[in-house]
Amino acid sequence: MPGILSELRVLELALRPSGAYCAKLLADQGADTIKVEPPGWGDQARHEPPFIGDVPHPDRSSTFLAFNTNKRGITLDVGQAAGRDLFGRLAQSADVIVESYPPGQTGGLGLDYETLSEANPRLILVSVTYFGQDGPYADYQGDDLVAQAMGGYLYAVTGSAAMPPMGTALQQMEITAARNGAVAVMGALFRRDETERGTHIDVSTMEAAVSTPSGLIHPYTYTGRNPHRGGSDGNVMDGMHLPTLDGEVTLTTAGTGGRPMQAWAEFLDEPGLTDPKFATRGGRMEHWEELHSLVAPRLAQWTNLDLMRKTMARGLVIGLVQTPTQVVESPHLEERGFFVELDHPETGPMQYPGSGFFIDGDNAMAADRPAPQLGEHNVEILCGELGLSLRELGLLRAARLI
Amino acid sequence: MSEKGVLDGIRVLTLEQVHALPWGTGFLADLGADVIRVESPDHLQDRKAGPFPDGKAGEEWWNEAGNLVYYGTRNKRSLCMDVTHARGKEVFLRLVETADIVTDNFRPGTMQRFGFDHDSLSSINPRIITLSSTAYGYTGPWRRAGSRARTVDAACGLSYLTGYEGGPSMRASNNYMDHSVGNNVAYALLLALYQRKKTGRGMRVDLTMLETGVSAVGPAILEAQRGITRDRLGCAHWWKAPHNVYPTRNDDRWIVIVVSSDEEWENLKDAMGSPDWARDTKFDTALSRWQNRHELDQLLGEWTSQDDDLELASDLQARGITAGACMTARDLVNDPHLQEREYLWEFANPQVPEVRPRVFAGRPYRDAGNPMTLSKVAGLGQDNETILSELAGLSQSEISDLQADGVIFDAPRPDESRP
Repeated sequence: MPGILSELRVLELALRPSGAYCAKLLADQGADTIKVEPPGWGDQARHEPPFIGDVPHPDRSSTFLAFNTNKRGITLDVGQAAGRDLFGRLAQSADVIVESYPPGQTGGLGLDYETLSEANPRLILVSVTYFGQDGPYADYQGDDLVAQAMGGYLYAVTGSAAMPPMGTALQQMEITAARNGAVAVMGALFRRDETERGTHIDVSTMEAAVSTPSGLIHPYTYTGRNPHRGGSDGNVMDGMHLPTLDGEVTLTTAGTGGRPMQAWAEFLDEPGLTDPKFATRGGRMEHWEELHSLVAPRLAQWTNLDLMRKTMARGLVIGLVQTPTQVVESPHLEERGFFVELDHPETGPMQYPGSGFFIDGDNAMAADRPAPQLGEHNVEILCGELGLSLRELGLLRAARLI
Repeated sequence: MSEKGVLDGIRVLTLEQVHALPWGTGFLADLGADVIRVESPDHLQDRKAGPFPDGKAGEEWWNEAGNLVYYGTRNKRSLCMDVTHARGKEVFLRLVETADIVTDNFRPGTMQRFGFDHDSLSSINPRIITLSSTAYGYTGPWRRAGSRARTVDAACGLSYLTGYEGGPSMRASNNYMDHSVGNNVAYALLLALYQRKKTGRGMRVDLTMLETGVSAVGPAILEAQRGITRDRLGCAHWWKAPHNVYPTRNDDRWIVIVVSSDEEWENLKDAMGSPDWARDTKFDTALSRWQNRHELDQLLGEWTSQDDDLELASDLQARGITAGACMTARDLVNDPHLQEREYLWEFANPQVPEVRPRVFAGRPYRDAGNPMTLSKVAGLGQDNETILSELAGLSQSEISDLQADGVIFDAPRPDESRP
């Protein structure tokens, strides 16, 4: 089956992971997505470690490879008039452009919505930035850590109460901004079917961060309480990571029919857990060290996969704290066919995560191509589609346009 | 909103609890779909979860819009009906005839037990799209297991990589993954509707929390295949320094500062008045700054300790330095940027006026073509009558019978315990 978005053409001019990931979400559903990179250096992510094989190389950055699946790639200097002209020609037939320039800069580059939509009224322009297109922070510098800080995540969500704020790994605020952008694009596509008009979507990474922890604004506005990090401190049954024979696990009190300690006492064969002092959440927190000393040695007798199998059979809910290697080797994901193999000339074939959903039993993730090499599709797109001659392409290269 | 929502005419029936799926169907409601949340009178945990206004559950506690109620029912309609009752089931199937989408987040098997599996619904309505949002999916050895957002952070690899530098792994979030999954639910449903426009046929979507989580940690998944391990670094970075959280002069108030290049380091040095320590050659290059980052963090933290967090962040940003205060919920509610962008929505629920206006998080994007507002937070069974008369074609006396016979409800059962 061709991808759901296979009739769409997407151009990506994203200098940041959020924009790249947003375009990837569209590309993974079959949209013909062209990544436009600055000549010579390309996307900064190409140069950020870690590198596959540990060799620094623009086609070996794991982040670049992971965030640019199913895209074609060209190089073009949109800072030069001739480059802008070529980009403008591509933009005329584009359905979606994803960009992440600082808000003030797009006008000078002719990449603002007014200019682009005049030539192509059906265009959907998605701007994914840290603080949005307007407001007092519009010109602020950002990155994932700043978004976690200013979005309230750092102060209140991950770390320990007695320690400085600490956040989540792996640029999750960039990703959540990107996911919101993809939802917005779909809404705009439905609207365009009615009106024949595109739109300008303004995604803010800071706001995406605020939107993720619902235990932030809501408790404050309802109770005046300012939520503080440390939710897993001393929380043996509902937050801490506890060692097993070959890894770690996090328990929950879910699936226990309202009698969590009886259920776990039975499962772990540890009658001490039914002591009344552990009956309430407050009691468990107050006596957490004692509780830990009862639970931890029992859990340490289990291997992760056995623990998962047996708790599942009892209806108990746990989470194995899996290493990325354990995820890659997961028998569950293997049986579901979640990973998609993409063969890259520089790294060889590797397993890439799917989209997270299956449609009529099929993995919804396209397996068209791995991330593009720098300028890989220059000839195919600039000559094959825009009609430049190879000679003209040579001139562009000499002028450092491609 | 004068203009009709872009999904006007699309109807979603959703059997949903807790957070991830309600967050996802909420996007469709915001875009104008008629999202009917079918609530069970026997599972009112979401409406009990709070927090309640000023910490106290009121008389009509089920409509006071605790966390899960507000995020789960906003812009939706509520039908409180026991679908395990034969007549409830009959009504539900009649509604399916008028629906475009049916979603659930039960464990696999439950929808089949109700007679609501995809094949059964599709035989009534071939254009129906069904989506089940589960922990691990309908196939595979873990399909019967349940989850919480936190257990998915763990299982997908995210929590293993999260933790203070040199310390143990920690849960990455409390419910970040619910939101990530909710976003993916919205995306998948909109894709399915888009596809149906082309084919005219419904489809089945099997969406999982685990796999959505893994899709968000792609770099680590690739690294693991080639033997690359990531150390936990807290707020520090693989190659940038300074890149961390620093104390300020106020108690438990912090600032993050990020330096990505020599130029940015020079800029930060200037901002500090070029103290002797910062001129030390060991901080001159990106590599040497990273190698000496613990000392650098210590010294920089001594400098930031002299200032107010919000003022310092604002001063540094004015100089083009990447920095931000660690905002609290109180800061966010009063933040001039979020206010000017109208990100925060104040809402007073006319159903429970005693709750008074409260502030809610909006959507993190603006699209003038698809404006979104908060127009309603659905009370329990608030829309029973209109749904049953207009969509299921029931008469007033039939509806009264359903109420009298304990099939539909607009309040908890009399013996329901208070939160």
